[in-house]
Amino acid sequence: MLLCAISVANAQKTGSLSIRFDHFLGNEPLILNDKKYKNATGDEFNVSLFQYFVSNIKLIRKDGSTYDIPQDKSYFLIRESNKDSKTITLTDIPKGKFTGTSFLIGIDSTRSTSEIGYRKGCLDVGGDAKDMYWAWNSGYIFVKMEGTSPQSTAKNNMFMYHIGLFGGIGNKKTLNNIRYATIDFGKETLRIKDSKNIPQITIKADASKILNGETNIEIAKNPTVMGGPFSAKIAENYKTMFSFVGLGTLVANADKDKNALGMNQEQK
Amino acid sequence: MSVKIKLLILVLAVAFLSFKSISEPELFSVPANFPKPSYHFESNPLSTAGVELGKTLFYDAILSADNTVSCGSCHQQSASFTQHGHVLSHGVNDKLTKRNSMPLFNLAWSSSFGWDGGVHDLDFFAVSPITNPAEMDESLANVLDKLRNSPQYPALFKNAFGSEEINTERFLKALSQFMLTMVSANSKYDRYMRKEGVKLTETESEGLALFQQKCASCHSGTLFTDFSFRNNGLFPNADDKGKFEITHDEADQFKFKVPSLRNLTYTAPYMHDGRFSSLAEVLEHYASKIEKTPSLDALLMKDGKPGISLNADEQQKIIAFLQTLDDEDFVKNTLFSESTLINEIPRKNIDAELKSFRITDETIKTLFNQSIDAYFKIKTAIEAKNSLLAAEAARSLIKTLNRIRITETEQKKFFDSYQQKLFLDAKQMIEGENFYAHQLDYFDELSAHLYILVASFKANTKVLYFNECLKSEFKWLSDAPDDISLSTDCNDKKTKTLN
Repeated sequence: MLLCAISVANAQKTGSLSIRFDHFLGNEPLILNDKKYKNATGDEFNVSLFQYFVSNIKLIRKDGSTYDIPQDKSYFLIRESNKDSKTITLTDIPKGKFTGTSFLIGIDSTRSTSEIGYRKGCLDVGGDAKDMYWAWNSGYIFVKMEGTSPQSTAKNNMFMYHIGLFGGIGNKKTLNNIRYATIDFGKETLRIKDSKNIPQITIKADASKILNGETNIEIAKNPTVMGGPFSAKIAENYKTMFSFVGLGTLVANADKDKNALGMNQEQK
Repeated sequence: MSVKIKLLILVLAVAFLSFKSISEPELFSVPANFPKPSYHFESNPLSTAGVELGKTLFYDAILSADNTVSCGSCHQQSASFTQHGHVLSHGVNDKLTKRNSMPLFNLAWSSSFGWDGGVHDLDFFAVSPITNPAEMDESLANVLDKLRNSPQYPALFKNAFGSEEINTERFLKALSQFMLTMVSANSKYDRYMRKEGVKLTETESEGLALFQQKCASCHSGTLFTDFSFRNNGLFPNADDKGKFEITHDEADQFKFKVPSLRNLTYTAPYMHDGRFSSLAEVLEHYASKIEKTPSLDALLMKDGKPGISLNADEQQKIIAFLQTLDDEDFVKNTLFSESTLINEIPRKNIDAELKSFRITDETIKTLFNQSIDAYFKIKTAIEAKNSLLAAEAARSLIKTLNRIRITETEQKKFFDSYQQKLFLDAKQMIEGENFYAHQLDYFDELSAHLYILVASFKANTKVLYFNECLKSEFKWLSDAPDDISLSTDCNDKKTKTLN
């Protein structure tokens, strides 16, 4: 089983696709630690960590039908601190034209309750997912943002937003913070042709949407949000976090890639 | 029948018999009076090597951040795999959890784990105590790294899973394999139910009838739990709202798992926070102390009044029945005990902790020797199983240690760290003033810490002996070289002399 893997396969009737996530805070590129930002309620803050799961990716055709990436190859943990994680590659996609994509922000309830044998790669609770898993209330953290703000009333002026909860299992029902993002390519069309010329979708992930939206989060009032009911408000906010930037072709060369991103010099 | 056919039958028979003889002994079987288990054995079939690996991991403190706490520290077999006399469990650096550790047995029949049911699959449970800052305070990833770098584990994983690879899945499955073998089904009640020639006494039978009438709607079936979560009317503690902390549903406030009632004699104290030390208190609670809160279980309300109607005589009879659920074979079965581990767990070398200091100040030297005297008072009390006296001597040990002033920086740092350890050990003696077994559990820690301190400062005026049983790891100090008062079954004693 291949989970969370980045690999390029060659097949006759299929092609590959790359998706790049560019992290922003409002209109400014997200830079960890060193840059100060302001939220809608005027709190000043910096971000020390920003990461999230993307899963259950679908490609949408003009007629509304979809191609669903097979589940076992459709879990990705995107970390601002790890540049490689921000570009994912999907393989073995049937040739065709697509006008949009959708995905789940987090981990679906089936995988959240599946046996340990189905939790490999980025779902490995003793490996990649070690900081994205709640052990005492078994489940994954979907979106995690941490930083400091002078307005924070928590220890060391930290703020921590760890949002998870898949709805629970059996008679243990919890909030369901699973949200979906749908990205429309507008006038552009994604053409899956082969595995040599890999098209790349660039998606903007705007971390400010965690704080600003239907509910503007005041860091002083809610410096720490994890399993409580308020987490649903943050999930409602961040479901609008992803937007379409453009379609291009994967730049294989790492240096060129860095230049193309233009904002990653600070990061590993 | 032709010779050929006869030969064929013979060959088949031999093949069948030899297959039988090489197949694994039965590691898990469903007792005749038990229902079908809920664990997914098909994805984690038990093997002798897997169970042995799980058992080794269970007893290895390598699972904790400072390599001092193992699963077995808070889940002791003689207490039916909970912790002797502990109201709340202690983790690394003696941090307290907010709950009483749950006993471990018959886990194959459970579909949720922990007092609040936050974990739905046994395989995932161990991650919780490993990562809890008040328990083992370690990361699973780091545990796996420590195991990969250990001299013995790669081979043990190979025996269990076919290759030396150590990963999350294999680690968790091995722990589950061992825990699944812990089946407790040989109580007097079980043998009575299976008609194995055992009879209940009249009081026990009456207790059983009362139990079925008054208690069995929640503590139901052979497992004595319906696996539900209920508010049983304990005076609420706002710091622990039970299942609510998982679901955040107001209706779940103060709901905790309905625990099995097997092995109660060994698992005291009772309730999720260990607030009751005896079964009499538990029965009294249900009869007359139920606290009415909005989420109180409906079964605990009768005609608008909280509580189960139970007079003193009925309470006594129910307790008599509950004691028929004690499974002595389970708490004594050497299959589950650390002493039968095939793979010895590498132990910390105490002498590596020793420093070479010397005390010149006579006042300090006197205080050191008074501390040693206080230790011997604790020891004498423990030998006499007088837990009150042991607690009193522990208080005087704390007082004496508190008066010692060391000025030199390096010596002070070392002294302070062992003073802290000794304070924590002495506090266990005090906490266990009604629990001899609990005091005994911590006595060897106390002995080891005092030994390191005294030996490092060469503070003793009289000759001291530090004794250690190699297999049981029991340690104690004595003023005579041949002292075996506290461990009569120790036949591998090693003694060091402190002049």
